[in-house]
Amino acid sequence: MNGVVEAVGVSKWYGEVLGLNAFTASFGKGITGLVGPNGAGKSTLFKLLIGQLHSDQGKITLLGENPWNNVPLKRRLGYCPEQNQLYGWLTGQQFVETLLRLDGMPAAESRKEATAALKVVGLSSAAHRPTRGYSRGMRQRAKLAQALAHHPEILILDEPLSGADPAGRVHILRTISEFAKDGGHVLMSTHVLYEIERVTNNIVLIHNGKAIASGNIHAIRALIDTHPHAVRIETSKPRQLAQALARMEHLVSFEFPAADTLLVRTRKPDAFYRELPQIVSDTKLDVRGLESPDDSLDAVFRYLVG
Amino acid sequence: MSITLPTYSRLEIPLLGRRQRVWAIIATGLRKELRRPAAIVVMALGAAFTTITSIAILFIATIIPSGQAPNLTFFAGPASNFFVLFFVSLMASVIGAGLIADDLQSMAFTLYLSRPITQLDYLLAKAAILAPLVAMVTILPLLLAALVAAFLGFFSWTIALEAMGISIVVGGLLTLFYTAITLFLSSLSRRKGIAGAGVFAVNFGLTIPAEVLTIVIGNRSILYLSPWDNYVAVATAAFGASSTGIDWAVALAILLGVTVLAALVTYVRMKAVEVITG
Repeated sequence: MNGVVEAVGVSKWYGEVLGLNAFTASFGKGITGLVGPNGAGKSTLFKLLIGQLHSDQGKITLLGENPWNNVPLKRRLGYCPEQNQLYGWLTGQQFVETLLRLDGMPAAESRKEATAALKVVGLSSAAHRPTRGYSRGMRQRAKLAQALAHHPEILILDEPLSGADPAGRVHILRTISEFAKDGGHVLMSTHVLYEIERVTNNIVLIHNGKAIASGNIHAIRALIDTHPHAVRIETSKPRQLAQALARMEHLVSFEFPAADTLLVRTRKPDAFYRELPQIVSDTKLDVRGLESPDDSLDAVFRYLVG
Repeated sequence: MSITLPTYSRLEIPLLGRRQRVWAIIATGLRKELRRPAAIVVMALGAAFTTITSIAILFIATIIPSGQAPNLTFFAGPASNFFVLFFVSLMASVIGAGLIADDLQSMAFTLYLSRPITQLDYLLAKAAILAPLVAMVTILPLLLAALVAAFLGFFSWTIALEAMGISIVVGGLLTLFYTAITLFLSSLSRRKGIAGAGVFAVNFGLTIPAEVLTIVIGNRSILYLSPWDNYVAVATAAFGASSTGIDWAVALAILLGVTVLAALVTYVRMKAVEVITG
């Protein structure tokens, strides 16, 4: 057992609901993507790794240590939760500084490191605005900043790209890559496979609380490409955006589920995510967020598990 | 699109100890409370109203001819000031009820515990936020009443200083009791409204029925159910005034026992809490 994360037969129940089901996996150095549909057990695994949940069965280690109530280990990890935030009235700078102070960093250093971390994630210009006024993507970046500001050995990122705008995604993915290049380890969850392949080939597929496959991303990709992939785009002008996107030959359909939302389906998600920023930039349309409500991954998982 | 990013590099920064980490939680919590108009209004009204009424009760006691020279027993009146009960309930509900419940609701608790913070650190910090605010109603008015009375020459400085010392002890007892109970209730729910209602239930839901039943049945032992009556019994005895009808030692044991039990249960609960949603 010499992986960054080792899990052997780990199970976690929430009453009668099974969160993790004899989960066994080993995550190595560098960036590992934990990919699975919503409710697969990704957040449960992460909460076990940061010591906020206790496994009912099995053994799990992070950097060689049992994480449950392991206070010294927390200094070595940076955690970016999916949804929660501290207090909305804190500015981005205060938010990161406060969490650094909780790490025991002196005031002057925490100020300096918070400023540097916010710069890394591209939030310098919004650093002195209250986080309650941030877009969802900006909040994700602020949370990423607090996760890496104390220079951890490992980043645990729960859906860090969820709701982020195109520019934010670029920032987040580049930040993660830089962190790994510098020798850090990253464990990142997503329910959208295409988001993770830009930064790593190394993935673990999780479904119904079990690790069902791990290894190279490309073999899985071939399976998933047979299913149209849905992307929900938040924009003030969904019809104009649909017109601009229509030149993408791989798009299968457009829907307008709400006045400020465009839902597209594509057979080539990787090409879609690659081309979208350029189109948005050319047309100067306001795109506030991207999200994949896609169930194609779930279909592949059903296929994989028979 | 072209984005230039600074290179990430790992640094070794000397880290401060546990006290500074706990202080960081306290500072953030106090800043949060001092930004809330409701908290500021309750604090200002509570401190002002209980102080003014405590001074008034003390002065009235000295004015009414009782055949006694001003002595320590006169301070039992301000210590039993019913407005203390009202405002301590209000303060505990408005400020204390959300201290843990809000963090559980907003999942800020997840972020706190993702740092090198133990559940005990977290609870101590929350207690350190609430206790001084509660003390503005439970201790400060008694201290100010004694101070003003001494300045105006109603009492000798010896008596006033002695009264201040006793006020700190009995007010501290009430502060600890409400801090422990409020944090316990706040830890039970993600909704601070429920915790706030619980504080009122503990106070008035026990005090009023206990006093009514005592009158109806004529058995004063029922007053042991009321935290307020237990406190008044202890405060009255501490200032050397005549007994309220219940044994101050038993009352003190009940208050201390409930305080320790509430603190212990809250700690055990927070230690075992698993952050499930999010």
